[in-house]
Amino acid sequence: MCGIAGIFFKNAETNANLGRALVDMLDGCQHRGLDSTGFALYENTFKGLRLRFIVDDDSEATVARVKTALAQQGAALLSEKREGASFVVEVEYSGEIRPFAYAMEHAAKLVSIGSSLDIIKDVGTAHDLDGVYGIRSIAGSHGVGHVRLATESEVKPEAAHPFWATGFSDVAIVHNGQITNYWKMRRRLEARGFEFRTDNDSELIAVYLAEKLAQGETLEQALEQSVDDLDGVFSFLVSTKDGIGFAKDRLAAKPMVMFENDDLVAIASEEVSLNRLFPGRPLSTTEPAPGTFRTWSH
Amino acid sequence: MVTLDLAQISVRDANTAMRAAAAQGEDIELVNPDARHHLGVGLVAPVKVTIRGSAGYFCAGLSHGARFEIDSNVGWGVGDSLYDGSVVVGGNASAIAGVALRGGEVVVKGNIGSRAGQVMKAGTLLCCGNASFLAGYMMYGGRIILLGDSGERVGEDMSGGAIYVGGRVQSLGADAKLAEITPEEYADIYAFLAKYGIAFEGGLQKIVNAGSKLRYGVNEPVSRPLSYTVAEEGTYWNAKVAEDIHAKALIGRYRIRGYGAAKAAPHFNDIALKIDPERIHAASDALATVNLKTTLGDRNGAKPLELSMPVLIAPMSYGALSKSTKIALARASKLAGVVENTGEGGMLPEQRAEAGQLIYQCLSGRLGWNIHDMLKADGLEIYISQGAKPGLGGQLMAKKVTKELAAVRGIPEGIDLRSPSRHPDIMGADDLVIKVEEFREATGYAKPISIKMGAGRVRDDIKIAYKDGFDFVQLDGMQGSTGAASTEVLENMGIPTLAAIQEALEGLREIDAGDDMPIVLMGGVKDGVDAVKALALGASAVAMGTAALIAGGCISCMQCHVGNCVVGIATQDPEHEERYKIDVQAKAIARYLEAVRWQIATLTKALGHSDFRQLSRADLVALTPEAAAITGLPYDPDYHPVEHVLTEVA
Ligand SMILES: Cc1cc2nc3c(=O)[nH]c(=O)nc-3n(C[C@H](O)[C@H](O)[C@H](O)COP(=O)(O)O)c2cc1C
Repeated sequence: MCGIAGIFFKNAETNANLGRALVDMLDGCQHRGLDSTGFALYENTFKGLRLRFIVDDDSEATVARVKTALAQQGAALLSEKREGASFVVEVEYSGEIRPFAYAMEHAAKLVSIGSSLDIIKDVGTAHDLDGVYGIRSIAGSHGVGHVRLATESEVKPEAAHPFWATGFSDVAIVHNGQITNYWKMRRRLEARGFEFRTDNDSELIAVYLAEKLAQGETLEQALEQSVDDLDGVFSFLVSTKDGIGFAKDRLAAKPMVMFENDDLVAIASEEVSLNRLFPGRPLSTTEPAPGTFRTWSH
Repeated sequence: MVTLDLAQISVRDANTAMRAAAAQGEDIELVNPDARHHLGVGLVAPVKVTIRGSAGYFCAGLSHGARFEIDSNVGWGVGDSLYDGSVVVGGNASAIAGVALRGGEVVVKGNIGSRAGQVMKAGTLLCCGNASFLAGYMMYGGRIILLGDSGERVGEDMSGGAIYVGGRVQSLGADAKLAEITPEEYADIYAFLAKYGIAFEGGLQKIVNAGSKLRYGVNEPVSRPLSYTVAEEGTYWNAKVAEDIHAKALIGRYRIRGYGAAKAAPHFNDIALKIDPERIHAASDALATVNLKTTLGDRNGAKPLELSMPVLIAPMSYGALSKSTKIALARASKLAGVVENTGEGGMLPEQRAEAGQLIYQCLSGRLGWNIHDMLKADGLEIYISQGAKPGLGGQLMAKKVTKELAAVRGIPEGIDLRSPSRHPDIMGADDLVIKVEEFREATGYAKPISIKMGAGRVRDDIKIAYKDGFDFVQLDGMQGSTGAASTEVLENMGIPTLAAIQEALEGLREIDAGDDMPIVLMGGVKDGVDAVKALALGASAVAMGTAALIAGGCISCMQCHVGNCVVGIATQDPEHEERYKIDVQAKAIARYLEAVRWQIATLTKALGHSDFRQLSRADLVALTPEAAAITGLPYDPDYHPVEHVLTEVA
């Protein structure tokens, strides 16, 4: 139950606007969910791999556990930072991501691993998060975001969106809707050795797509199949290192509006979010047709 | 003309300013709308409103008489429940354009999204571009003109009205067919297009209802069925089961009946009040000394409902019930100082006049729903589901769809009426919050807004109700009654009333909601004894449906759906209704409510309290292991049921 937004800059000159654009867009549809907010930002400035963890009350012990686990995995610590509910590190690591991710998840609640992706999510509104994490000043080429009204699971930072495709670097999902064949799909992926951290259907979409990408399929092919394979009502945005894409179910029960010009592509649950980027200017927007998908990449 | 800048003021302030300007007959211009929701909602005045840009959800919704012009796009539900007037959209319209139109004209120059004109009743919806799928879904009347392509499954389950398509008919919906267009219709449509300056001279295809699904085919056997309570215990293939198989072998579908679930499930009888025998005699002057007054619905600053005791009349529709019965309930509710509820299917003027306080219910079919009655109501209620049939829409058999009833609901006469199982604009908690806001904007934030829900996934649903800002919840367990539902659903869906209140309170505790969102519990509340148990469990009030009907003459034959109610309650047949004496039954219902008041006061006092709000779980024990497991109350099978105590008092 929520609102989603995504933006893709076509020219690097406008990258400085990434954080501000997403904060404004999410603020525009914050009424769709006041419990928590999250951003997946593609920044291209990392020294190595960035890992972000949610740390709980016993943060000293958690941080120590993370550091020990990093050392055990042969990841050299380049930088570290406590920020809001999270602990962020950048490391030098050249091994396989999936076993590394699973090992690190045993040390603490891992939110994302990326060579350019950083997922920042927490309880509160877009403005609240901006205050804590300085989102507006983050530059980057593209990103997606989410506001959440928690219905089934608790209001905790780790239950917020976006979801990272656990085990696959730089893939993130924001989703509005409900996947009804969740357990069937999840068991299929689990049988192939994939692990799930939550019972959230958005995580399933992320892992499902990432697995297809890992097998060499293009994002478009993966999205095309998702429209057939996923059952239920959904409008979701996916982001990878190179770009963003969307898919929408055949019932079109969950809204999605998009705007494109020479500089950018912006997609959101409601037009009011898109208009935040161009105040006072009516936009020529389109609604993706039911059962369709599309991608943009650099 | 007044110009309002939405970059400077909030939507709420803009709507207030628009009403003030319109009252002076001033036209209005809105600048910098930036796709904000609820613009012009609830405006009732013949002025012109120009919106310089895009508007969001429900633009011009629930308005009457104004002429709206929007330069660019609109979001979901443009012209929602428009009563009369016009809305011209320069760009595209999103999903459910013209939803639930009661009249007026909605013109979209670009394309429209899915389910355009869903449950519309009258008026015209015109789209100059292409439509997405399910245009005209479950429409009851009026016309839709699509100059471009129709989208898939156009006219799905429409029961009245017509759809004209200038482009391709991509596919016909269930129970829709193509029909001939007369020269008069062409002339009328061309004149309509010319009025809006639209050049179109091409041919059209017309789509209407095919009529194959409007009736249920074979009727159920009319013999009086066996009572659901006589089936001998312990015999698996009992007479009731055989009767059911016989009936289905005849009709080949599910059976329908009225009344509540008959299946034994843990209920109020399975818990008892822990009354200290020493106190019993002290309870004699309870009515004078125990406070039973309460209010409901001011959690968000609305004017609350005032109750002389924590009891409401359950929502029951004019349709399922005769007009006479609705009037008697309204009169009785006023005599007793409690609140009456319209239920589905609109507000009768007589009911409004007789009821002291009246809640107005909005259902998926938007039957009878309109701005004028919203403004006359004391509370507004969004129906999501009810205990007897969670997840199903309303059903009213053709026999009950009389001329007068059809007029109040805004639908064709004499069809087996079905309404969609979900609201056109509530697909989830995120849409619901926008809907609630629409009602608040339309009525100036003055009226409590409640939600009626059947007991399914109460723990989750109650959190949504809280977060979406409802003023109170009407929670209905599986013992709740209905005017018509399939027996399978009646007996097998949902959770018991006792479990419902328990889950609701736990759900609210899980999100630290405190106790500022009252819960009105219903579903098998028979009398004041049950009421006291419900209040002690944590409900803020109870509602009674069946008990009020029985007090007013119902003989419990369970045939409400048929329409031949011999006592004139569940019927629209004038001959049957004749037998119902409004004044006699209103007084009987009122007397029953007084007995309920006496029971609540006496038991509250006997439990050692001076205010019903002091009742708590400490006053209760469970008499069966099942009830103990559901409620978490201590299990004490030897406790004297309270009925004995009351007999002693009397
Ligand atoms: C004849 C009849 C019509 C009803 N119509 C409605 C209705 O329109 N809307 C609604 O929310 N509930 C409706 N209900 C359900 C009642 O509001 C309520 O949930 C139920 O009757 C409570 O259980 P009780 O009858 O055991 O008190 C109806 C019930 C009956 C018996």
